Amino acid sequence: MKLLKVGISALITVSLVYALNRGWNFGKTIPPLGKFLDPFHGFWKNAEHGDPQNNTLSIPGLQAEVTVVYDSLLIPHIFAQNDDDLYLAQGYITAQHRLWQMEFQVLSAAGRISEILGPVALDYDRGQRRLGMTFGADHNLESLKKNPDIYRAAVNYATGVNTYIQQLDYEDLPLEYKLLDYKPEVWSPYKLALVQMNFSLTLNSGELDLQFTNALKLFGKETVDLLYPDHEQQESPIVNTPGAWKKFKLVTLDTIPLAVPDELIQIKLSPVKPRGIGSNNWVVNGTKTATGSPILSNDPHLSLGVPSLWFVNHLHSPNVNTMGGTLAGTPGVILGFNDSIAWGCTNAQRDLVDWYRIQFKDSTKNEYLSDGKWKPARKVIEQITIKGENPFYDTVVYTHHGPVRYDETFRAENEHAQFAYRWLSHDEAEPLTAFYLLNRARNYEDYMKALDHHFSPAQNFVFAAVKGDIAMRVQGKYPVRRKDEGKFILDGTKTSTEWKAFIPFDQNVGIKNPASGYIFSTNQYPVDATYPYHIQTGDFYETFRNVRIDQILGQRTNLTPQDMMAMQNDNYNVQASQSLPLMLSLIDRSKLSPAENIAFDTLSSWNFFNTINSTGAIYYETWWRDFYANLWDEMAESKTLIPTPSEFTTIQLMKQKPELAFYDIQRTIVKETLRDIANLTFKSSVKKVEDWKLEHPETPFQWTYFKDTYIEHLLRLEPFSFHARNGGNSGILNASSHRWGPSWRMIVSLEKTGVKAWGVYPGGQSGNPGSKFYGNMMEAWTNAKPYPLKFTDDQESLAPSTYFTIQLKPAAK
Amino acid sequence: MKFLVQIILTVIVCFALQYFFPWWTMAIGAFVIAYFIGNSSFPSFIAGLLAIAGLWLGMAFYIDQLTTSILTEKVSKLLSLNAFILTATVGGLVGGFAALTGALLKAKPKRRYY
Repeated sequence: MKLLKVGISALITVSLVYALNRGWNFGKTIPPLGKFLDPFHGFWKNAEHGDPQNNTLSIPGLQAEVTVVYDSLLIPHIFAQNDDDLYLAQGYITAQHRLWQMEFQVLSAAGRISEILGPVALDYDRGQRRLGMTFGADHNLESLKKNPDIYRAAVNYATGVNTYIQQLDYEDLPLEYKLLDYKPEVWSPYKLALVQMNFSLTLNSGELDLQFTNALKLFGKETVDLLYPDHEQQESPIVNTPGAWKKFKLVTLDTIPLAVPDELIQIKLSPVKPRGIGSNNWVVNGTKTATGSPILSNDPHLSLGVPSLWFVNHLHSPNVNTMGGTLAGTPGVILGFNDSIAWGCTNAQRDLVDWYRIQFKDSTKNEYLSDGKWKPARKVIEQITIKGENPFYDTVVYTHHGPVRYDETFRAENEHAQFAYRWLSHDEAEPLTAFYLLNRARNYEDYMKALDHHFSPAQNFVFAAVKGDIAMRVQGKYPVRRKDEGKFILDGTKTSTEWKAFIPFDQNVGIKNPASGYIFSTNQYPVDATYPYHIQTGDFYETFRNVRIDQILGQRTNLTPQDMMAMQNDNYNVQASQSLPLMLSLIDRSKLSPAENIAFDTLSSWNFFNTINSTGAIYYETWWRDFYANLWDEMAESKTLIPTPSEFTTIQLMKQKPELAFYDIQRTIVKETLRDIANLTFKSSVKKVEDWKLEHPETPFQWTYFKDTYIEHLLRLEPFSFHARNGGNSGILNASSHRWGPSWRMIVSLEKTGVKAWGVYPGGQSGNPGSKFYGNMMEAWTNAKPYPLKFTDDQESLAPSTYFTIQLKPAAK
Repeated sequence: MKFLVQIILTVIVCFALQYFFPWWTMAIGAFVIAYFIGNSSFPSFIAGLLAIAGLWLGMAFYIDQLTTSILTEKVSKLLSLNAFILTATVGGLVGGFAALTGALLKAKPKRRYY
């Protein structure tokens, strides 16, 4: 009897310990509660208190002592005596603040999220595997190894990260590891290649080939050219030097008639990134500034998340002294400056993806047809580990083009969809080299040499030097294309449709010291119409922000860094200024309700600025969304994938084609006109705004609350996320929309007396939600008031702004 | 009296254990103390429960004060339950059942004279 009681009690105790020592999933993920709540080692330990103190750490692998001076923003200034130590220290320090995020983005790139989140992520992981992310990372690693200096930096960085990981006990793990109950893995240069692939995916994979193919089938070529022109005739390309391209010795292609596909494709595609995202960079030379020195500005717009993508770092060794935004997991500075130059990037998207319809010999998919011969296919079995379940095995078939992403087992609705994916970012791309060289560049020549090593993701590199030069180069590996080539699905049985040549780097678009005194890029169409290569974006080029920058920079002189900050925070809505007057002129005022009359008056007197407290912006943005959706309802009603035209083209069509068939709303019997949709959607949008007011009785009726910029934790955990109260929207210089926005605001004034720089990003230097540095920059970011960055050549001058100092000492062998 | 002694000893021993070892070692501590003190089963369970719940709550409260609650509220929202209550409950239950097991193992079977 006694034994039975003891047994039962012991069993309960042991079961409790077991159950509380592991995570569970009941629809909601439950952390291992015992471990997690234990105040000696669990989440409580992640709550930080007080100020960090000076400290000395012993680090194996260091050759000499490294000093890390932290300033009051928790920005590390790393002073090393050689480059090996510099990158090792960078890896160590970055891991200290951002380890979880660093690894999470790698798991995400490699399609391994199911390992930590369970079956809910399986579809995403399969998508990533079939995209060939690791296929591309393998090539990038190969390419990395070919350059010993760069590879060495990557290895040292990895050593630093791993040294940090090895020191961790359970209680030191970042909170997210405790929450999801897993441990960090060893870091390696291969993971750096995966980080690179992640960026290529975000920046250089935009395309709508399958969607355009459907549009072609349903609407015909003429309508496709009307709705989706390759070159939207906007005013301000990045480089506008008609005739300057004549000296090019052109790479030309044999003219083979293009086979235009005739089919409809039914696939549930992986999510496509929202339109209107992009980035700004611009530079003015001394003729435009108050100091007579160039000023460079850059704000890349990306998905807004915490921990932030960016980590600010100052790297100093006898060979390099550079500062700026770094990417967790990547050695060196990515967007920044040194004591001689500054550089910045916006995305230079072009169509870098093609889809090939593959004809397999039979259902085994062992062979496929190419120029009349059967070629062997390569099969990769992807093992996807799933938390709490058996692994999932997915066979991905590779052709010489690349992986077959969609087939009968994945998202295709019929077995005909055998599409191989040719993506430029699968190719070797010398990751890191260009940035490594830019960190060390002293002048324009160095900048140009550095960029000769940049292949992917293609970027518009803006440049300024203390010596006074300014420049822009649209740099990436771009296939030579003919019009419409690769805009639609291609026939995979013929090699004649494949990429034959790439634009030589010295024939890429670029400009140095233009007479205007300024250069800018906003992801707009890159060049004037006389550029001899055909340019095709893949999706859409930016069309509004460039107009505004040109307008401001063209007029202004005596510019100061503060003017640049104001420009980054400029809320002028070019799209509204081009569309709203026409839309308002279509409204029949005799039929408006009181609320609609108020809306009409508000819009009539609105100055087109999406400021924080604007109400005009609320009415306009809501109306535009309804109007746009109803105008292009044909695309949604078609029950297949068809892109909607760009906002720019939509406005052009409204102005130039008042009788377009698309104005008819499909679900109604009557035939609507442009005027009808304008009136209908004006009323429906005012109703939406009124409903919003009723649903938010306590919330001020202001644009910022209506838009609600949300900076979300990478695991979508609401308590670890932020709401920002700022103005702007996509398509506006201050590109803060609900979920996207300026991820890093940087301004550099290249003065002869010393380079001055300012920077801020949404979030903070610490990735730990339990740190006061997790979101401390949020307010300055919201108000677009970047902090002065403490850039210097000598450690001593940092003394006044030193918060605390860490000495890294070589460990005794 | 023995009840109080069990609580105090459990708190001290488990504090020391947890300081160095994983969280579940407190179950061993609570079990061993309960065995040596030899309270009867129900008081022992309560003593173990109060001791560990108190120890965890105390530590949690101390950290919360020290860090000006920087994380407490966020995690409470995350778990949809108050982090203090949850911490005390989880620690207390394990401590209680460990102590109960210790007491039951020690208990002499009652002689029955009939």
